[in-house]
Amino acid sequence: MRSRLSLPARLARGLFLAVMLAWSVGPILFIVMSSFKRQVDIFVYPPKLVFTPTIDNYLKLTTQWKGFFDAMGNSLIVALGATVLAGVVSFLGGYAYSRYRSRLTSWTAVYMIAVRVLPPIVVTLPLFPVVDRLGLGDTHILLVLLYATFWVSLNTMIMKNFFDQIPYELDEAAYVDGASEWQLVHRILARLTLQGMAAGSIFVFVFAWNEYLFAMIFTTNRAKTAPLILSELMGAVDGTEWGVLFAGVTLQLVPVVLLVTLARRYLIAGLAAGAVKG
Amino acid sequence: MTDVRLSGVRKRFGRVEVIPSLDLEIEDGEFVVLVGPSGCGKSTLLRMIAGLEEIDAGELSIAGRRVNDLSPKERNIAMVFQSYALYPHMTVRDNMAFSLRLAKAEKAVVDEQIGRASGILGLAPLLDRLPRQLSGGQRQRVAMGRAIVRDPAVFLFDEPLSNLDAKLRVQMRAEIRGLHDRLKATTIYVTHDQVEAMTMADKIVVMREGRIEQVGRPMDLYARPANLFVATFLGSPEMNLLPARPAGSGFDLGADGRVAAPGAAAAAAQDLTLGVRPHQIALRPPEGADVTAAIVLVERTGAETVLTCELPSARRICVVAPGMADGRAGDRVGLAFDPAGLHCFDTKTGQALAA
Repeated sequence: MRSRLSLPARLARGLFLAVMLAWSVGPILFIVMSSFKRQVDIFVYPPKLVFTPTIDNYLKLTTQWKGFFDAMGNSLIVALGATVLAGVVSFLGGYAYSRYRSRLTSWTAVYMIAVRVLPPIVVTLPLFPVVDRLGLGDTHILLVLLYATFWVSLNTMIMKNFFDQIPYELDEAAYVDGASEWQLVHRILARLTLQGMAAGSIFVFVFAWNEYLFAMIFTTNRAKTAPLILSELMGAVDGTEWGVLFAGVTLQLVPVVLLVTLARRYLIAGLAAGAVKG
Repeated sequence: MTDVRLSGVRKRFGRVEVIPSLDLEIEDGEFVVLVGPSGCGKSTLLRMIAGLEEIDAGELSIAGRRVNDLSPKERNIAMVFQSYALYPHMTVRDNMAFSLRLAKAEKAVVDEQIGRASGILGLAPLLDRLPRQLSGGQRQRVAMGRAIVRDPAVFLFDEPLSNLDAKLRVQMRAEIRGLHDRLKATTIYVTHDQVEAMTMADKIVVMREGRIEQVGRPMDLYARPANLFVATFLGSPEMNLLPARPAGSGFDLGADGRVAAPGAAAAAAQDLTLGVRPHQIALRPPEGADVTAAIVLVERTGAETVLTCELPSARRICVVAPGMADGRAGDRVGLAFDPAGLHCFDTKTGQALAA
């Protein structure tokens, strides 16, 4: 169904794409390339596009900033934990909102969205004494809970949309076939809402992986996540070692880029709250 | 013996009483069609039998066992839905096997049942396809296959053909009826299409506003409708209704003339509604006819000709003549009513009067 464009139109489109690409990919390319450059080559003008790559920055990161890799481990634990928790809760929540309609559910739905639009810091600060009291400061569990909570509201609504698109007759057919509600949910509905689950999971994982504010407020040492170390790298007392910093940032980028690239189909479906057609 | 009995069954949604109080008996092996206009409660009734809607009062029994409070799976029923409701992520085989696997049937039993069902329905070449790779008619068959494999005591169909095109509908109609003749299981079938009801049913239940208007064999209902609603609901084009008054051995139609009905016992001398089906009116030359009319519209289908005519009172009347009848819009024709095809109804109550 593509209409043939005139030459100027095609040129304009090419130019537009080039600008958008430079705009979005340029900074990432700069960071990744710089991570393989010597310190002196990073900020020279004009920038060197051709250079002899070195892995010194990465070696230095492993020797002088061992904490970064521990922090990446923490990030991974926290991000996976939050993803699983938010996934389970929003899946079940979405099911309940879609299949059990009542005044209570529609009212709480509004409330959940309302909480989501408040500035995170407003929600976070009052938690501080509570967290302290519960002895959850500087723990993985706390970050898992926080990140999951932060996304449950939105993901529940995304999941509700997915469930809404599955005709109720399918539930009834399963009941007539002899399924219990649990069998219906896990043998039929879970399979049909996989796209939504995948999209929702990516949102949570990427958010938790990148998150800085909560991590900075609630962790000090044991549960410190990678973004905090990167910020420390930048503010090191003996001056910023840009090459090492970029090496860290590059490593930090890898899982996100991989995940989003591999699952972009689901991501788009999730954003469009995609269709489950028979 | 898997008869289905409903006595004093009621259903309300909030303040709306959908089914006020309903009694119905369905015999073992019978093919019963619930028919009526949309909103008449037929689907609700079917869903109550299936266990998908709660029964507010009264008793429902299947095979002599009260099932009011049993879940669908404990009622030994199978249902075919309007949208087919196939599981989109499962192959045809898995769709059909689902209920058996839930019941923890052995693999050999599952395979045997699927083999049997797919043989009956011609699904064998499609077993490894997904529902989205099937045509509407094939999906319909899979939905039936899913019902058959379980050997249910009662088959329930909820408007199963309404998503198919006209030609396929005729074909599937015959297939479903053929299936019933083969399996001889009690079947309850819901439709709003009176042709489906007439062609498929052993027994038709005509419903309106949650009540049963009449129950009986298709041709009995067609020949002896109990009231105006059934009279006009069954049959296409629908029965003509004319205000009339008994007069001697016949009926006086006022300005429109009179109808001779030599055999008719004189009904009470009151205003009544005279019903006559379009097929039971014959065209005659206008000269000397008791009733004359002007042709307004002529529709030819090849096998028959449907004429819409206007009587002197400006009332319209539909006539179906066999074959390619002559006549053009504007022509004057005489109409002869078949005395055996006359139905009398009480104008006030709508009930049929003994004719």
